[in-house]
Amino acid sequence: MFLAWNEIKQNKLRFILISSVLLLIAYLVFFLSGLVNGLANMNREAVDKWQADAIILTDESDKSLPQSILSTDDVSQVKNANHLAPIAQINAIASRVSDEDTRQGVAIFAVQPDDFIAPNITDGHMFGRKGDVVAADYLKSEGFKVGDKVKLSSSDKYVTIVGFTDHARFNAAPVLYTSFETMQQIKGLPIESDPLVNAVVVQSENISTIKVPTSLEVVETETFIEKLPGYAAQNITLTLMIAFLIVISSVIIAIFLYVLTVQKASMFGVLKAQGISNAYLARSVVAQTFILTVVGVALGFALTWLTGAFLPYKVPVQFDILSMLIYALIFIIVAILGAVFSVLSIFKIDPLKAIGG
Amino acid sequence: MMPTLQFIDASKTFGDGHNTIKALKPTTFSANEGELIAIIGPSGSGKSTFLTIAGGLQTASEGDVLINGRSLKNMREKELAQVRLQDIGFILQASNLVPFLTVDKQFSLLDRVKQHNMSPEERTHLFQTLGIEHLLQQLPNDLSGGERQRVAIAKALYTKPAILLADEPTASLDSDRAFEVMSLLQKQTKLQNNTTIVVTHDTRLIPYFDKVFKMTDGVLKQEN
Ligand SMILES: Nc1ncnc2c1ncn2[C@@H]1O[C@H](COP(=O)(O)OP(=O)(O)O)[C@@H](O)[C@H]1O
Ligand SMILES: [Mg+2]
Repeated sequence: MFLAWNEIKQNKLRFILISSVLLLIAYLVFFLSGLVNGLANMNREAVDKWQADAIILTDESDKSLPQSILSTDDVSQVKNANHLAPIAQINAIASRVSDEDTRQGVAIFAVQPDDFIAPNITDGHMFGRKGDVVAADYLKSEGFKVGDKVKLSSSDKYVTIVGFTDHARFNAAPVLYTSFETMQQIKGLPIESDPLVNAVVVQSENISTIKVPTSLEVVETETFIEKLPGYAAQNITLTLMIAFLIVISSVIIAIFLYVLTVQKASMFGVLKAQGISNAYLARSVVAQTFILTVVGVALGFALTWLTGAFLPYKVPVQFDILSMLIYALIFIIVAILGAVFSVLSIFKIDPLKAIGG
Repeated sequence: MMPTLQFIDASKTFGDGHNTIKALKPTTFSANEGELIAIIGPSGSGKSTFLTIAGGLQTASEGDVLINGRSLKNMREKELAQVRLQDIGFILQASNLVPFLTVDKQFSLLDRVKQHNMSPEERTHLFQTLGIEHLLQQLPNDLSGGERQRVAIAKALYTKPAILLADEPTASLDSDRAFEVMSLLQKQTKLQNNTTIVVTHDTRLIPYFDKVFKMTDGVLKQEN
């Protein structure tokens, strides 16, 4: 630590530059991880909020909600689940009647207002009358308000926003929650007919004990999300980018440290000639790497946080402290592994050559 | 009394196959506590080879070297480093200073890696004798060649080594300083009762030494 710290103090500019490079790489990694998180949430936050263990869909739907159509008879045959909540879903384009230009893709969910998947109300009240909807509060920033009459692309009927809920996006679209009655109306079906259900959302301690008719399939929530269009591809791509970034930056860090160490070879040789052990010098190099990366990563963290505070709401970046900490840790470990290469080069220095006897 | 340093038929051969240089012919040598020894001889005769073997920086090809009775023959690098740290002080031709440490911190580093160094009083006295007490906050780069060499000498003496090895320690000093440094080495050797071996070209310094050896083509012979 003594050698490491004194060298940093004495060569401030050089070490500020190195730490800055680490800072920028860490910043990029953190930002990308925020993007992964944000984009994932756009797809899944409504589902996450249900806190469901599984979703029951028809076998032939290939885990796609709109492709799955269940009869009331099917639903009544599901056994051994703690909580069941039927759900119907369609996608539509919503626009305010007062301002037809405010077009916005939405996912409409029909749920029963007393089921566990019913939306919590952050503003206004729960849907009650025919035509009432509870909207995701993201729509507020698009100008939608409680009391707005909304036209839906798939229907000639209007719906009215009576309340808002938070964290309600599904497959990148804000959600409108409504009753099955209103859903029948939106679909242009007679209200008296049996409502169509796309799936049954389930809470259950042990989903393997759930009994369903053979035409149905119990899908774990995580599997269901993975199957959302584009979700897995997007996640894999971005995560690969982060992995590459970490690999590339670790190579850069390792090269940096190696060059720094090689530059000091004669000094290390002289110290070795005086009998200072390899272990002491190795600890010094590792300590220095640790100081540089921790400073760089911490500043990267702070800068990411600062950026997050100023990002426009539309940017799908959401920082998750836990994943950021994990990346920070990986980053520091990788840098220290890089330092080990330099340490090996110290071991190879012949003190006799260094003293030029 | 056990000699501090002993060479027993120790020799050094460089190179392999038919292209070998016998830098040090089989040599038997011993030095005792409190002795100040000079090694003179032409360049390329093997003086540095002798000195680096004595200091555990390289090992003899044949024969053995003992420091305070301990054989260096089969020691691993880690043990040799320990011997260098505990028992040997080097004053090198090249400056042995760490470029980013102030003079003061060069000594803090030694305190960190080795115990039982000079007391603060001894240290102050050493700095005064060498005329470096006003340089403590300077970096090696800010010092003149002579100042660097004096700091290097102070570093070597600071750990109170049993064997002090110096390769041309006065080469970069003017003759007044050279005489001063020699009388300091003489005084320290008697005071700390260690063994000091100095390689030098400067025959004017001969009167300071207890014994003078001459190296010729790898053969070491006592002069007086
Ligand atoms: N590492 C080495 N490899 C090969 N030859 C060496 C090596 N070190 C010294 N020598 C040779 O050994 C001889 C003695 O060298 P050295 O001990 O440095 O002499 P001096 O210090 O008296 O000038 C020279 O011929 C030199 O070229
Ligand atoms: Mg020499």
